[in-house]
Amino acid sequence: MIDFQLTEADEKILGVAHDQAIIGRRYARYYDKHEDELEPAEFPEAKDLPSPITLAEEAVSGTSGTRILHSLVMLEVYWGGVALHRSRWGLGNTVLKTVAMPEQIEKWKNHTIAIAITEPGAGSDPANIRTTATFDRETGEWILNGEKIFISQAQSADAAMVLSRFIAPDGSRGMTTFLVEKDTPGFTVGPQLKKLGIRSHDTCNLLFENCRIPEFNHIKGDFKSTMSVFNDSRPMVGAMALGVARAALDFTREKLAERGIEIGYRGGMRSRSAVVDRFIRLEAIYEAALLTVLRSKWLEQQDVPPKVEASIAKAAGGKAARKITQGCIDLLGPEALSEDYPLDRCFRDGRIFDIYEGAGEIQRLIIARSILNYTGRDLR
Amino acid sequence: MISFELTQEQKLAQSMVQELAAAQLRPAARDADDREAIPSSILDQLWATGIVQSQAEAGGYSPSLNALLLEELAVADAAFAIAAAAPIGFLGAVTAQGSPAQKKNLLPLFAGDNYRCAGAAIMEPDFAFDVSSIRTAAIKTHDGYRLSGMKGPVPLARHCNLFIVIAQCDGAADAFIVERNASGVSVGEHKPTIGLRALEMATISFKDVELDASARLGERAGCDVQRIVDSARTALSAIMTGTSRAVMEFVMPYTKERVVHGDALAKKQTIAFRLADMRIETDAMRWMTWKAASILEQGGDATRQAQLAYTYCGEQAMWIADEGVQMLGGHGYLRDNPVEMWYRDTRTVSLMEGAVGV
Repeated sequence: MIDFQLTEADEKILGVAHDQAIIGRRYARYYDKHEDELEPAEFPEAKDLPSPITLAEEAVSGTSGTRILHSLVMLEVYWGGVALHRSRWGLGNTVLKTVAMPEQIEKWKNHTIAIAITEPGAGSDPANIRTTATFDRETGEWILNGEKIFISQAQSADAAMVLSRFIAPDGSRGMTTFLVEKDTPGFTVGPQLKKLGIRSHDTCNLLFENCRIPEFNHIKGDFKSTMSVFNDSRPMVGAMALGVARAALDFTREKLAERGIEIGYRGGMRSRSAVVDRFIRLEAIYEAALLTVLRSKWLEQQDVPPKVEASIAKAAGGKAARKITQGCIDLLGPEALSEDYPLDRCFRDGRIFDIYEGAGEIQRLIIARSILNYTGRDLR
Repeated sequence: MISFELTQEQKLAQSMVQELAAAQLRPAARDADDREAIPSSILDQLWATGIVQSQAEAGGYSPSLNALLLEELAVADAAFAIAAAAPIGFLGAVTAQGSPAQKKNLLPLFAGDNYRCAGAAIMEPDFAFDVSSIRTAAIKTHDGYRLSGMKGPVPLARHCNLFIVIAQCDGAADAFIVERNASGVSVGEHKPTIGLRALEMATISFKDVELDASARLGERAGCDVQRIVDSARTALSAIMTGTSRAVMEFVMPYTKERVVHGDALAKKQTIAFRLADMRIETDAMRWMTWKAASILEQGGDATRQAQLAYTYCGEQAMWIADEGVQMLGGHGYLRDNPVEMWYRDTRTVSLMEGAVGV
C-alpha cells in the first residue's frame, strides 16, 4: 500500500539521530574553522549514546526498513553538520567485502580502507586512469606508480583500495585493485586539501612511487565491480545533500517567522508574497528530491537493484542542495551572509554533493543511457 | 510505513486504464481538441472503467487509486482525464464530507451506465483570483442561503447537472451543492481557451440563487473547504505527471531517430541530459502526488503536501512540455504532432486550481 508515514519505530530512531545532530551542530563551526584537525571518531557526548546508524542498520520490526531508515539517519547527521559517531568504514571496505578472497577479508576486516580512484587527469572519466602496476618476477611483487587525488578518509584510513592499471607477467593488461597499507614504502599521503566547504572532511592526495606491493594485497576487483560500490552510495549522498538543504530551510523558516512571515500552504500563488512563494518552491524541491531518495532505497529493500533510481536520487539531491542553500541566503538578505549564522556553511558544504561520487552530469549520462537504451559508446 | 507498493487491485486497474488510454483515448485526443468537444463515446468509455462511480460505492473512495489512474488517463489526454476528475472531485467531496442525507440522495444519481458530469466550482473570472479570497457569497436567509457570484472557468459546465460551489458565508469559505437548473443559475457561452479546449470551459453566474439549508455540504456540520482544494491540487498534480510522461515518451523515440550533423539528436548531451531531467522530474512529480493522495486517503491534513506537489508539478510540467516542443523543432510547432497540444494543455492544467479531485 502506498504510504509515506513514518512508523513509531522510525520516529524513535530518527529522534535519537536528531538529538545527536543538535549536539553535533555545536561543533560544526569549530571544524569549519579548524580544517586540519580530524574530527574524533567519537565525541565525548556520544560516549553513552547509541549510534543512530547502528540502530538503523539493526532495526528489524516495525520500521520502514533498514535502507530507508539509514538514509534518513544520514540526512539528520548532515542536518547537524558533524557526526558524533564517525563510521569506521570506507568504500574500500565495500570493495574488500564484495570481491576479496576469504583470507584477505580476514586480514583486513578491521582496517579502515579508503577508496582511491580519481587522478589529476581522470575524475568523471575513471576509465582514463594512469596509475600502473607492473609485476616484478624476481620478488613476486607489484610495483605501483601514480597519483590519486581528492581521496576521502586519506589520513584516517589504515589502507587505500587503489584502482590501477596493470601489466601482468604474460604482458596482459587491464584494471584491478590493490590494497596498499599506510606504512608501505613509496606511499605518501599529502596534506589536507583546502576546500570551499566540508572543511573537516578528511581529503588528501596520494602518491605512489615505486611502491612495492605483495601479491597477497592484490584484491582483484575489476573496473566494474569497483565502480558498482557507488550504486549503493548514490542515494545516500542524495540524503546527505538533503540534510544540509533542510538545515538551510529550517533556519530560513525560523528567521522569517521571527519577522512575522509565516509560510502558509492553504492559499494559492496570488495570495502570497514573493518571499513566501519562493520559500514554498524551495521546499518543494526538497520534498521532490527526498521522495526520489526514498524510492531508490525502497527498491533496494525489494531486492530490485536500483540503477536509474539511484542516479535520480543523487542528481536530485545534489541539485536540491545547490538551489536551496543559494535560495535561502537570497530570501534572508545580507544579514544571512554572516558567519554568525549557519547559512554560509550550508551554502559552502552543500555544493559538494553534486560533484563527488559522480557529478550530476555523470548521473544524467547514466539515466539517459538507460532510458534511451544506449551504451557508453552511443552516448559519451 | 514508507512504501511505494501498489496493491494487486491497484495494479490491475492501472493496466486496464493504460490499455484504454493507448488504444482508445490517445487516438481521439487531437480530434476532440480540434472540435472543442469530447465525443460522448469517449465519455462513456471513461465511465465504463468505473473510475468515477466507484467513489460512490461503499469503500470505493480512494484518492491513491484515483491519482494513479488520472496519471494514466492524462498520458492519453489531459482533457479526458479532467472529464473523469471533475465528477470524481464532486463525488469524493460528497463521500468524504457530505451529510448522511446528501450521500443518500446524491450518490445513487451516479450509478447509471452513462457518463454523468458534476464538478466543484472554485475559480472565479477575475485576474486577481485566489482560492483564499473567494468573492462569490452565500447569505443566510430564514430557511437557507442566497447565493450570488460568478464562477469560471468551469470545465464541461454545460454537461454538469450538479456543482459544489465554494462561497464566502459568515466570513469563511463554505461549500454548497447547487443544481444547474436552479433558478438564477446560468451557464455562459463556451469560452475557448489556450488548452484543454475539448472541455468547453464556461463561466457560470449565480444570481440570487435560493438554496435550502440542506444544500450546505455537510449540512449543519459544514465541511472543510481546504480539503476540496487539497484534493483538487493533488488531482492536477497527477494529471500534470501524466502529460509530462506523454511528452517524454513521445520525444525519446523521435530524438533517437532524428539525425542532425551525422548523429542522432539523443546522442548529443544537451538533448540526452534534458531527457534525463524529464525522467528525474516525472518521477519526483509522481511521488509527490502519491504522497499527497495517500495522506488524503488516510484522512490526514494534506494541505502542505498538496501545495508542494501542485507547485512543483506546475513548474516542472511546463518545463517538460516546453522542452518537448523545442526538441521537435519546427515539427513541434506543427499541429501534426501532439507536443504543441500538450504545451497548451500544460499551460492550462497548472492553473485549474479547483474543478477536480482525487
